[in-house]
Amino acid sequence: MGDEERGKPTGLTRRSAMAAMAAGAGVAAAAPWARGEGAARPRIAALTTEYRKTSHGQGIIDRFMDGYGWGGRFHHPAFDVVSLYVDQRPKGDLTDERAARHPNLTVYPTIAEALTRGTDSLAVDGVAIIGEHGHYLRDEKGRTHYPRYEFFQQVVEVFKRTGKSVPVFNDKHLSWNWEWARSMYDTAREMGFAFMAGSSLPVTWRIPELETPKDAPIREAVCVGYGGVDSYDFHGLESLQCMIERRRGGETGVSAVEVLRGDSVWKYLSENKPTRELFDACLCRSFSLRSPRPGYGHVFPELDQMGGLARDPLLYRITYNDGVIGCLFMMSGLVQDFTVAMRLDDDSPILSTQLNLPGLAPGQTLPNFFSALAHHIETLFLTGKSPYPVERTLLTTGIGCAAVDLLADGRPRMETPHLSAIAYQPPVESQFMRS
Amino acid sequence: MRSRDQAEAAAPAPGARKRLAIITTVWKYLSHAQHMGDRFLVGYPIEGTWRKPPIDVVSLYVDQKPEDDQSEERARSFGFKVYPTIAEALRCGGDKLAVDAVLIIGEHGDYPRNEKGQILYPRFEFFRQAVDVFEAEGRAVPIFNDKHLSYSFEKAKTMVELSRKLGFPLLAGSSLPVTWRLPAVDLPLGAVVEDALMVGVGGSDAMDYHALEAMQCVLERRKGGETGVKRVQMIEGDAVWRAADEGRWSRKLLEAALSRSDSLQGLTVEDGRTQNLAVGDEIKRIVKKPAAYFIEYADGTKATLLMLNGALNDYNLAVKVKDRPDILSTQFMLPTPPNVAYSANLMNYASRMFETGRAAYPADRTMLVCGILESCLDSRMNDQTPLDTPHLAVRYEPLKESLFARR
Repeated sequence: MGDEERGKPTGLTRRSAMAAMAAGAGVAAAAPWARGEGAARPRIAALTTEYRKTSHGQGIIDRFMDGYGWGGRFHHPAFDVVSLYVDQRPKGDLTDERAARHPNLTVYPTIAEALTRGTDSLAVDGVAIIGEHGHYLRDEKGRTHYPRYEFFQQVVEVFKRTGKSVPVFNDKHLSWNWEWARSMYDTAREMGFAFMAGSSLPVTWRIPELETPKDAPIREAVCVGYGGVDSYDFHGLESLQCMIERRRGGETGVSAVEVLRGDSVWKYLSENKPTRELFDACLCRSFSLRSPRPGYGHVFPELDQMGGLARDPLLYRITYNDGVIGCLFMMSGLVQDFTVAMRLDDDSPILSTQLNLPGLAPGQTLPNFFSALAHHIETLFLTGKSPYPVERTLLTTGIGCAAVDLLADGRPRMETPHLSAIAYQPPVESQFMRS
Repeated sequence: MRSRDQAEAAAPAPGARKRLAIITTVWKYLSHAQHMGDRFLVGYPIEGTWRKPPIDVVSLYVDQKPEDDQSEERARSFGFKVYPTIAEALRCGGDKLAVDAVLIIGEHGDYPRNEKGQILYPRFEFFRQAVDVFEAEGRAVPIFNDKHLSYSFEKAKTMVELSRKLGFPLLAGSSLPVTWRLPAVDLPLGAVVEDALMVGVGGSDAMDYHALEAMQCVLERRKGGETGVKRVQMIEGDAVWRAADEGRWSRKLLEAALSRSDSLQGLTVEDGRTQNLAVGDEIKRIVKKPAAYFIEYADGTKATLLMLNGALNDYNLAVKVKDRPDILSTQFMLPTPPNVAYSANLMNYASRMFETGRAAYPADRTMLVCGILESCLDSRMNDQTPLDTPHLAVRYEPLKESLFARR
């Protein structure tokens, strides 16, 4: 695709660019959306698959209700969680404890009731959908059928029935099913409510505090992460995407996705020196690089030693419409963190950073990457605008779904016309947690 | 008489690879000697690349060899010798100083404690033996000394004086001043500090030292630079909570410091909840034996270290800066074993000193903190009463540039 074509935004691009620019321009100071001066605090419905220690539901909703350390003080969000729907209540369920400690919170048996709260109208000002954790079907492709789409559909049914809609946050990818994810995005646009989604990775600490220079001429970017397919791979894709979307011209969409698994990943690294250099830069940003030498704590492994550490290496190779290449290496056994490195066209040094997930190391207790996420969700609920474009998560959802299909089918490559039109502009301001 | 070749080997030309002697108490897995010494054997990550410094470890002295000793394996694998004395290590078995730099790691190992609870690591004694060699030969090389110079301020002072007298660069101290910070902030140079509170955990005199030096590396940047400490006091137990009620330390600063923690304990451990431990009595329930270290600087600045075992597991600082509405706060990040990535930046500063002959920051900081800690422990011994510290009138200029890891 030529530069002229690339520079010409699609309708979708222009709209999302405007939304993103408005969001980036400091909406925190804007008037509360759709509410007059002196309006009551927004009332929020939280819908989660389960509410158990270390579940996403607990991490996010607790921060809404109990507050969290933020910017040098203990911050209480300026909204109230008034209703809660919990889909599964396993051993260790905390729903009753939280309800008892928060008298303004009511637990409802259905999503519709959580939104209408005993009335025949929509009776909340925002909805948070947290469909992560819990026991749900795991299909033959390794996808867990978290009911995010089903939750979303039930929310939308209330919106349609009452003729009102409010901002919706959806944790992690939109759905395990691409068609459903696309439908969620389209529905939000058609009905005109603010929609925010995604991983904590784009908004957590970065070590060092690196942001892609705006309009950087990125040639290639690499993320090295860990975890499984249809799981942490999504975090890796969002880590990569939030850095790469700031390149010159903004996001142009994805034309093809390839996957490599096993020895072919090591072969790829040995044959592609520029990618290997970015991969190595990522390993130099890791705090959890596994040593190939017993008795040594921190040794840089040779390529032929890596196979003994990462037993099931994966590469998702993404070709963007503008020719930029993004590579996500999933390296369980070699590292336990997410790092990104980028090469620019201008021969400047490789840029690299770790998207740091606090709270997961031994001795730590607080997954405070949720604090950054909670902070941005608060912006969504207070302003009625998503601080960053949901198109990012639509695209990463689509890349993840494509990779899952390729792995399941044993195919190496897929053209992705359905991801080719997802173009958007990144937020002007950086959104990650920092001083 | 030495041959010409030997003489050249003993004093390589500038720019050549440097020869390093490592002098340590014990070298076993996850000891300071292992994770710091290994950086000179296998390299380390710095600024997004893996650096192998132009340095060869040529000799090693280990004071103790427990069952899980790794010194012999390292010597075999990397082609250097373990010598029975420090002097022999510095001379590589010959009769002349045969190294360009000395790395002293006097941490870990089995050593007695004194009545103040200080572990009597032989850092001064190691240093003294190295300096004896320097003095005998009329030539001195740079020394890095891990952590505090000594448990004794007098000994620490002697070490700094000896480095000045013999004219060799000395770098010392904890990893905390140079590790990553979350967020990556520092005190603006020349700012007026109204109050400061550091929160740490762990035992004395190992971990309180780290916390004090972390606070010091920030506070030394205040208006007028470092002027020394005129009075300290250390208290323990319920008196610590009463001191807050009396306004001796600020709960607001505690809230700011704890807002940076990723490791709050108590109810957070029980069911994951977030909590503000700076308000209410929950903190009293979970901290069995709190300790407060009060520091009064010569210029009137006041600072407090709270050691709150049971409340958290990380190191966080809060500073009230004049004319700045928000409290400055940050966590001194200690990435986990076995990478312990914090020591990479520290060893990079050690390596750069060995390579260039220039120490990046003053050992006076470490010397002063040695004295602050020793006097705090004296105060505790003396019925937890305040102690005047005229001997701590240590002045030094802070660096213009922040040196913590941030690139």
